[in-house]
Amino acid sequence: MKRKAITSILLVAVLATSLFAGGAKETALTTKNIRIAEQVPGLITPGVWDGQAFSMNSSIYEYLVEINTSTGELDPVLATEWSTADGKQWTFKLRENVLFHDGSTFDSQDVKFTIERTQDPSIGHLKKQDFEIVASIETPDSHTVLINLKEARPTFIYQLTDYNMCILSSDYDYGSLGESKPMGTGPFIMKQMIPKESAALVKNTSYWQAGLPKVDALSIYFVSDIDASVSMLEDDRVDVVPFVTPVIQTRLSKIDGISVISPYQEQRFVAMNVDEEPWDDNRVRLAFKYAMDPQNIAKSVTQMELGNGAEYNETPIMNMLSEYNPLPLRERDIEKSKALLAEAGYPDGVTVELFYASDHPFGKELAQTLKELASPAGFNLDLKGYTRDVYLSQYWLNVPLSITGWGGRIDPSMLLALAFKGGGAWNESHLADERVDALIDKISSEIDPDKRTGYYHELQELFYEEGPLLNVQVPYLVAISDRIIDYRQPLTMLPQYKYTDIK
Amino acid sequence: MNRTLSIILRRTVSLLITLSVMSLIIFLLVEIMPGDVAQMILGQSATEEAVSALREARGLNDPVMERYFRWVGGVLTGDLGESIYMKGVTINSILWRRVGHSLVLALSAFILFVPLSIILGVLAGVKENKPTDSIISFLGLATMALPEFVSGVFLITIFGVQLNWFPIVSIIPIGESLFNNLEILFLPALSITFVMFGYVSRMQRSSMIQVMNSDYIRAAILKGMNRKYVIFRHALKNALLPTITIIGMNMGWLFGGLVVVETLFGFPGMGSLLMTAIKTRDVPLIEACVLLITVIFSLSTMITDVLYSYLNPRVRFQGGQR
Repeated sequence: MKRKAITSILLVAVLATSLFAGGAKETALTTKNIRIAEQVPGLITPGVWDGQAFSMNSSIYEYLVEINTSTGELDPVLATEWSTADGKQWTFKLRENVLFHDGSTFDSQDVKFTIERTQDPSIGHLKKQDFEIVASIETPDSHTVLINLKEARPTFIYQLTDYNMCILSSDYDYGSLGESKPMGTGPFIMKQMIPKESAALVKNTSYWQAGLPKVDALSIYFVSDIDASVSMLEDDRVDVVPFVTPVIQTRLSKIDGISVISPYQEQRFVAMNVDEEPWDDNRVRLAFKYAMDPQNIAKSVTQMELGNGAEYNETPIMNMLSEYNPLPLRERDIEKSKALLAEAGYPDGVTVELFYASDHPFGKELAQTLKELASPAGFNLDLKGYTRDVYLSQYWLNVPLSITGWGGRIDPSMLLALAFKGGGAWNESHLADERVDALIDKISSEIDPDKRTGYYHELQELFYEEGPLLNVQVPYLVAISDRIIDYRQPLTMLPQYKYTDIK
Repeated sequence: MNRTLSIILRRTVSLLITLSVMSLIIFLLVEIMPGDVAQMILGQSATEEAVSALREARGLNDPVMERYFRWVGGVLTGDLGESIYMKGVTINSILWRRVGHSLVLALSAFILFVPLSIILGVLAGVKENKPTDSIISFLGLATMALPEFVSGVFLITIFGVQLNWFPIVSIIPIGESLFNNLEILFLPALSITFVMFGYVSRMQRSSMIQVMNSDYIRAAILKGMNRKYVIFRHALKNALLPTITIIGMNMGWLFGGLVVVETLFGFPGMGSLLMTAIKTRDVPLIEACVLLITVIFSLSTMITDVLYSYLNPRVRFQGGQR
């Protein structure tokens, strides 16, 4: 009886093992395939696309121009040439013999359709405001487009690098099919998508650029948990994991064959609302700035050294941009901070609520660091963290002090008018300063690049002395397998997988 | 038999009432979740016009009760609606594939933990207060005290990283099916076994001890019957009743509530789908997942009740479990 029982148990064990075992399966790759673990995307139709599915969308769709990750300059894509004499009328020559994935030919009507679509009220296009400046679009022939603006905008071309401005086919029903069957002229074609789970993209064999893309397929897994994504990378199930945190970076640094890179930085604006006490007094704003310690902020928030992955300044311009004015970092001076606060009528300190999105990367770390740093000077920051949607829909733009994430902009003027000009749609600091408004107008319309840079510098000096802003720049981190060759992702956030190869 | 039928009928009516009330509660709870769905979908760049256009396009501007009855009407006809993110993609096409995966995972875990827990529970029960009992009881307590995300990480480290026997993530490679990748089930199933083993084996142990101390067992042993025969033929049958109840009560969790395990291992099941739906505020998908989990919980409870009453004549003849 005993022997029988032991034999039965062993038999069950052997059966169970044979059912499950097999170890970590080695997949025989017959094609070059880059595997990516991305966040689960929200909307993916261009126009209402809020990012997330960057690997997928940037491989299916294309733009008139793209950013060269080496030079930072614009490279031609669907437009071969572009010119403007006065910043008001723009001429684009389009690439010939380009096909959409459905076989239709790309021409000037598609560019006209894409830009006019921004003003369609039924779409709720996220670039509607930016393209309201377009007065008319002419298509003198199938591969020439003339865009007439209502006023001069010498940096208008950069608007066309925004991820929502990929070129769409005027014959395709994006309203019905944009979410399930995305279709463009890009280097990869959607082969199969399992909603909320994965997408399989294959090489576009009719792609206009000879020799590209370098790999045959992209396999994109949508994973809601970043730790699960990182496990997939560790287990060699994927080759690329975007949006990793500094903590994960530290963990991965001990593993051979995996690197963490930072293709660009993002901004976290700490905005003081100048309409409300105590921030309406510049002495309080200066007191707050003197209480800060940029190196401490960089280390505490990003676990990186200042200048080596993390940056800090008191202006809306990122340190990496050519328009940046390298003003000296303010030394932390608690006594001066206290004195300024007392001078402004707060000798016993002041309590302020700080609102932020607690689930947004670096949000709570930055909030906590600000609280600790500001405390010795007499600022009692009452932290109010909410989920990002709650923060954005209920608090953002109407609170005394806030932390908000802002993507980088190749052309900073795109952001200035919206966030710092009086009446701007996203003016979270409620700034309405004639000098600032005038400088933003000059920046937007000045054709001479040197003069424009001069205005940028002037604006930054103004912010340094009186501005309601701290600009903490945090790294955007991507973990990649060492088999990946030439991973490119410029400030537009759009990975350029057509150039990427795999060993 | 008539009594059992009556119990089934009463439980079915009760189930329908529960589901009706739950459908309203689920709908209203999702409705009062803080934040604006359209704002969340469109993100920071959303203008008021964009938010308004999206609300209109997705029917979010209609009155609450109108949307509720539209949803319930759809559910009754098998139409769970469309994902709020993907026009033209039905919830049915997303959900059932994941439910299938979760069922396979639940079944794998079931195959692992039920025999293991019962055998060791019986062993601990008949060896009461002996070293075997102490070891099994300690194991039960230890595994019960470990949350899934801790035991999961522990298992990943041992079997995935150190021994490299099983994959540390449970994804299905694109283009393949779960049945080509059965090895991905092992670690999540073992993680679930860790959670369930403690509950079931301890219940089996105490129930076994109780039965072994009952008069009829004592009489059988004193009569000189073979001890093993007494344990397996007389004691075990009666000692299984509470265990069946515990297993039945946990079937709902096993089939629909594996959110932590599935998320930890990246397993494409219903639990991780629910997590994704909540994170992205995909309202119709949240409602569908939660309703389905409610149905599974209610059904498993009902089946347990009916089974219990069928197996236990005292309940059957006294008019159902009180």
